[in-house]
Amino acid sequence: MRLRIRFSKLGKVRFVGHRDVARIMERALRRCGIPVTYSEGFSPRLRMSFGLALPTCYESEAEYLDVPLNPDLVQDQTVFCTGWGQGEAHNPTELQDALNKALPNGFDVVALTIEPKSKGSLQEAVLSCGWSFDIVGAQTDGVQNAIETALNSSVIEVDRKKKNEIVREDIRHGIHELRLDGESERGPLVVAELSAKPRVIRPSELVDVLAPGAELGVAKRTHQWIETDGQRIEPLTPSNSITT
Amino acid sequence: MRARGGIIRLQMTSLWPRLEPVLPRVEKPARYIGCEDGANANIYKPDATSWLLTYPDTYEIGLPNQGLQILYELLNERPDAFAERSYAPWTDMEAQMRAADVPLFSVDTHRPANEFDIIAFNLSAELVYTNVLNCIDLAGVPVRASERRDADPLVGAGGHCAYNPEPLADFVDFFVMGDGEEVIADITEEVQEWRQSGKPKGSREAILHALALIPGVYVPAMYDVTYDNQHLLAVTPRHNDIPANISKRTIADLADWPYPRNQLVPLTEVVHDRLNVEIFRGCTRGCRFCQAGMITRPVRERPASQVREMISAGLERTGYDEVSLTSLSTADFSGIEDVVADTIDDPGTCGRVSVSLPSLRVDAFTVGVAAQVSKARRTGLTFAPEAGSWRMRQIINKLITEEDLYEAVRAAYSQGWHRVKLYFLTGLPSEMDDDTLAIADLAENCVQIGLEYTKKASVTVSLGGFVPKPHTPFQWFGQNQPEELRRKVDLLRNRLRKNKRVHLKWHSPEASTAEGITSRGDRRVGSVIEHVWREGGTFQEWSEHFNLELWKEAMDASGLDIDWYVHRHRDEGEVLPWDHIHAGLHKDFLWQDWQDALGGYGIEDCRWTPCYDCGACTEYGIEHVVASPAPPNGGSQGTGQDLATGHLVPVQLRPRAGVGGSQ
Ligand code: SF4
Repeated sequence: MRLRIRFSKLGKVRFVGHRDVARIMERALRRCGIPVTYSEGFSPRLRMSFGLALPTCYESEAEYLDVPLNPDLVQDQTVFCTGWGQGEAHNPTELQDALNKALPNGFDVVALTIEPKSKGSLQEAVLSCGWSFDIVGAQTDGVQNAIETALNSSVIEVDRKKKNEIVREDIRHGIHELRLDGESERGPLVVAELSAKPRVIRPSELVDVLAPGAELGVAKRTHQWIETDGQRIEPLTPSNSITT
Repeated sequence: MRARGGIIRLQMTSLWPRLEPVLPRVEKPARYIGCEDGANANIYKPDATSWLLTYPDTYEIGLPNQGLQILYELLNERPDAFAERSYAPWTDMEAQMRAADVPLFSVDTHRPANEFDIIAFNLSAELVYTNVLNCIDLAGVPVRASERRDADPLVGAGGHCAYNPEPLADFVDFFVMGDGEEVIADITEEVQEWRQSGKPKGSREAILHALALIPGVYVPAMYDVTYDNQHLLAVTPRHNDIPANISKRTIADLADWPYPRNQLVPLTEVVHDRLNVEIFRGCTRGCRFCQAGMITRPVRERPASQVREMISAGLERTGYDEVSLTSLSTADFSGIEDVVADTIDDPGTCGRVSVSLPSLRVDAFTVGVAAQVSKARRTGLTFAPEAGSWRMRQIINKLITEEDLYEAVRAAYSQGWHRVKLYFLTGLPSEMDDDTLAIADLAENCVQIGLEYTKKASVTVSLGGFVPKPHTPFQWFGQNQPEELRRKVDLLRNRLRKNKRVHLKWHSPEASTAEGITSRGDRRVGSVIEHVWREGGTFQEWSEHFNLELWKEAMDASGLDIDWYVHRHRDEGEVLPWDHIHAGLHKDFLWQDWQDALGGYGIEDCRWTPCYDCGACTEYGIEHVVASPAPPNGGSQGTGQDLATGHLVPVQLRPRAGVGGSQ
């Protein structure tokens, strides 16, 4: 069995890098006494795996973490805690609360399930991500026009650094959705769904297309999409923590 | 900002909206956001004295500093004070801040530094002095204390380097000597009165005067310095009521101060990123090169039961899987094995918590301790024999025998370690090439022992250039020239070149010279520090930024001679720049100990033998707080002597009557 957690990362903590997020999660899991498992070897590591890595400085409402559990300490929807949480039995809602108490401000578990381990990692399963981002130093009209032009083009080329050379690459096929969503206090706000396969397309690349010379403001991941039985779904949706 | 004639009510402003856009452009932006577990973002109290506790190096180095965290908590517990923290911004961040006109800020609430009543620096190393000036400047406060206006923040400093305050005397309004736990209350009360008066015109002089009357506080502006050509004549108070000497503050019992209770847990990786529990303060092993040991006497152990509580509560609160038991010589703690065992066996830790013991003395590191420590995860092990030959170790009074070292190393390898780190100093008084080369012999012998247990055995030798420090018996010693230090490093490199199992690392000899200038400098060195800073010489602790040429240039520009300040032996009669600061040790005790050193005499640890009257206890009416009546592991100073029976000792010990201040 494993825990699957969906969490958000909002506000000042958007500047925390991916590796640091892993350490923050580890500490929170230990504080709650969740019966995690460890790798073998000279310096055992707590086992866990994330969805797609989030670039530093980006916010998110849709981060994922899978944590394999010690099967002896899980029964149906109840987890028996060890360590500092010794003697406590928790259902998913209670675990979600406990984790939220242990996590720093800015990180929130928004959904949590106890479920059987499945094959393949979440990281590989994610096909596309939903984004919301604003652009600093651009006019709303201009961005609106650029979006229309982009959607009407069959090819959108961007520069991409590959090893030591810069290559032009077409990203049109990776843009599933692109629209203006009003303005934030920093500038025009854009909503997009960008593909994660064969490579992850980032909002910062779109800024170069929509408003060359302008800067990405705050970008927020809103969804990570996977496919199950031909259906495009989110691994967990906020509030579904009790139903599995 | 200043209210006329009334109570000052600062409406503190957050710089966050201006900082946020620049953070994506800098390296490791997480070090500027605060948000640590244990930090309090709502600490602003409009009518309280505000302290900005500043560590003049990067966040990663500064955040774990225990002294700073203790004061942070203590101040925030007071109704009449609050504290926030700040750290030196890295060079890329500084450039962004200067370009966007953003001043130094607190990481807690991102308020500007100059809105605080006090900016207080922790001085743990001399090479950060240029960063201190840079932080003051970034705060928008004049770097020279004499140019500050009434309502500018007071600039304070404390920590080990404050024991020679003179090099920073022109830039710092007040220094604190010794333990900070109690004196911050006295300072807060004075500053609170000053705030409530509205900091009127001309009041800065009065508050400085008032601070200078607090025991343990040194206000350089209240003292005149006189010279006879090159030589310092005296540092004398300007007013009758100002004390001629400033004595350090010492807390009598660590048990009264179980801090930090809420150690800060950073969101980004820092050094010593683990739970740190201070198990005792002070050390009386008497190593003659060690300033920390000399100035923090006597030994005050925390009760083992309190140590256990702090470990257990700390691990549960933080979720860390590593705890470090900190002190100057951790294995000396009475009952260390039990404390380690209890931590590892605590059901809360699930056998997953590792214990690290910094500052291990080899004579107290036993197989028992090694076995306990290695249960969860083996952290790095560093031993510090400090010198290669027994002769040299007698001179520095680090009385551990070769056998002690081999026993400890054997304990480590036999319990599964593959590598141990050995720390040595070179450039010690009277050091000959044979002494230096003995370091290689020790390291190679350790490898041989390791090979009995593992094919992977290796030893890392870390070599530091010795810089004599104030308030130690070696304060009179002329430091080696950088060329000489480099020659000694090369001797060892050549000797060890063929041995692939011994890795040699060394500290830059040039940086040791700059450290020498700032360690034993007088007030004239202030202009050197300012010059280096103005020429862009910040982060001098970082090899990529260190530049000895800048220091040479600055010494020239100030008309000062490096040889005179750094490489010259001092004699008994010389007035030293820190003579007016009392760290508890009588100057004649130190001089006698220096003479003993040159004579090759060792002295025992006064925890378990009669007192030498060095002054650290006798002057203050306090004494050691040690739980165990017996020294650890068979003998004081690791010499194996049985003090009870007068067993033969392998080292010549000077008769006590000749030592001390009262002959
Ligand atoms: S006063 Fe005596 S007992 Fe105290 S530290 Fe000095 S020598 Fe040791």
